[in-house]
Amino acid sequence: MEIPIELKQIIAFTKRDFYSWTTYKTVVITQIINVFIGVFSWGVTATYVNKPVSQMYGTGTNYISFLIVGIAIGNLIMPLVQGVHSQLNPWTIETILMTGVSTPVFVIGNVMWTYIFSIITFIPYLLIGIYVFHVSLNANIASVIVAFAISAAILVGLAMISTGLMIVTKSMDPITWIINVLSNIFAGVSFPVIYLDTIFLPGISTISWFFPQTWVYHLCRLAMLTNPSLSNPQVLVEFLKGSVFAVILLPLGYKVFRWGVARSKREGTLGWY
Amino acid sequence: MEFAIETINLVKRYPTTARRGREGHFHLGPARIGRVESFTGLLKIIKGIRGPFIEALRGVNIQIKKGEIFGVLGPNGAGKTTLIKILCTLVIHDEGEAYVNGFDVKREPNQVLKNLQAVLPESRGFNWRLTGRQNLEFYALLYGLNEKEAKERIDYLLDFTGLKDRADDYYQRYSTGMQRKLLLCRSLLRNTPILLFDEPTVGLDPTSAAEFRDLLHKKIAHEEKKTILLSTHNLFEAQNVCDRIAILDRGKITACDTPNNIRYLMFDEKVFNIAFVDAIYDDEQKKMIEKLEEISGVHGVTPGIDLDGNFHEISIRVDKNVDLSSILEVVMKSGLKIKMINTKEPTLEDAFMAITRQHVEPQENFGSFGQRS
Repeated sequence: MEIPIELKQIIAFTKRDFYSWTTYKTVVITQIINVFIGVFSWGVTATYVNKPVSQMYGTGTNYISFLIVGIAIGNLIMPLVQGVHSQLNPWTIETILMTGVSTPVFVIGNVMWTYIFSIITFIPYLLIGIYVFHVSLNANIASVIVAFAISAAILVGLAMISTGLMIVTKSMDPITWIINVLSNIFAGVSFPVIYLDTIFLPGISTISWFFPQTWVYHLCRLAMLTNPSLSNPQVLVEFLKGSVFAVILLPLGYKVFRWGVARSKREGTLGWY
Repeated sequence: MEFAIETINLVKRYPTTARRGREGHFHLGPARIGRVESFTGLLKIIKGIRGPFIEALRGVNIQIKKGEIFGVLGPNGAGKTTLIKILCTLVIHDEGEAYVNGFDVKREPNQVLKNLQAVLPESRGFNWRLTGRQNLEFYALLYGLNEKEAKERIDYLLDFTGLKDRADDYYQRYSTGMQRKLLLCRSLLRNTPILLFDEPTVGLDPTSAAEFRDLLHKKIAHEEKKTILLSTHNLFEAQNVCDRIAILDRGKITACDTPNNIRYLMFDEKVFNIAFVDAIYDDEQKKMIEKLEEISGVHGVTPGIDLDGNFHEISIRVDKNVDLSSILEVVMKSGLKIKMINTKEPTLEDAFMAITRQHVEPQENFGSFGQRS
């Protein structure tokens, strides 16, 4: 059976980035070291702080599990958050677009290698967490797959919005910057979002649920720490809420990216950075 | 007749922050900047269609036949790159139409890209950390070639451009000439019938530039039978490589013809020089000059006399189509010994300068050409 051209194109991007990555030997070593340093530093801190997270994810889990899974997820989704713009430069974008690749292939192709790499590093994160810091995983495979799929859709949508805006602004786009800054506080990367009510004002955690990143962390943690069954209506509702963001952001991202490219073409600034 | 490339009244405006264009250089659209007066104004900002604008192309019409090497000549900022980028769908034009093998560049960009490839020196698109071959393999996959096809085509092109021996070197180790050849390989990967080159020899040393021109002319145009659109400000290149050229000046085509015809577009005459041996400038010679001046098509005769009174040459400004035999007949009857005869014709550079600087006036010096009024 002939492989679809879109898949071939994504493979081409992935191979290109992999070959390129292997030539940066120092980067390869430092990235691997970073995995260990990152997880150890957070793990040690969390062991001493050990905040309870049972309020959100039940009594079967603890803060170290919550945190290390969060860091692993953060590492997994980072390439998608950063989007294609790390790959964008004036020397390549015009040439790549002249090949006639579609927008989804362009976006997915440009993040695929970094995403594969982050999946590879996801495993040592979890292994160190489990064997050194006694992280207790309680994952439901089907839920994990669905959670990852929803997360990927949300983040690819965000990546396309960010890239589309960046093609026009030629710098970090203000919208993504604001979302990222606020997400660091509100998305529950290193603590459960309900603690915002204690730290700041009662009820302020409601804001968190309007950030797509909150749902990425929430659904992945739910799937990996609480063994949720998708047949459970309460779980299903949580997944459906997260899907709403995916359904909105994915086509919106596609539109924004296309708008950005079209506007740059009209202004003749596609190759400018 | 369907042309390989056709543009009809093509207009392109770029937004600018300049409040006023320099007189005679830029043609600005509605100059309203600063405030947003209305919701429509806000929408125009979002869409990027709000003035003021610089008009980079002002109604460009070109028709390029299949198999032709067509040059677009113009000074910096004339709109050459804009024209090429519109044709390869990287810039969207504001008015007019542009077709590539019959496909509309605005409405059918994917079909257009299947019919042409462009070599734009400033957008290399190669990964410095990959070898030349790996870079080509990447693009071959993007173009949808299968592995076998890609390998065969890449091997052929590397051989064709003389890069075979260095194919497995990292791109970052390539010289400028080799990088340009790799660009050429990439543009030929898909085997499209039309190729666009934007200043292809800029930055190359004379030997590499000559080699590249040779490759373009002999191999790509004649062996591979491609239609080529070449933008350049190198007049030598245009004259030697192109079948036809268009001179683009400030966004307008000011002349379009074969290089030879363009040379005479601005000039009505050429200069005919005759050198003599051991001649003295006396009354006999004066009479000969008078006779020469009476010949139809002769615009002026200037004797070359040195300080000792030696009559060593004569320069005759003649109509470009004059029959030279009547001139030679008069000279031969005078009994002078002819040492050398030559004609000096206007070069493409003369024509280019005259077209792009309409204010240049005909000079009275030896060898200058009379410009058309």
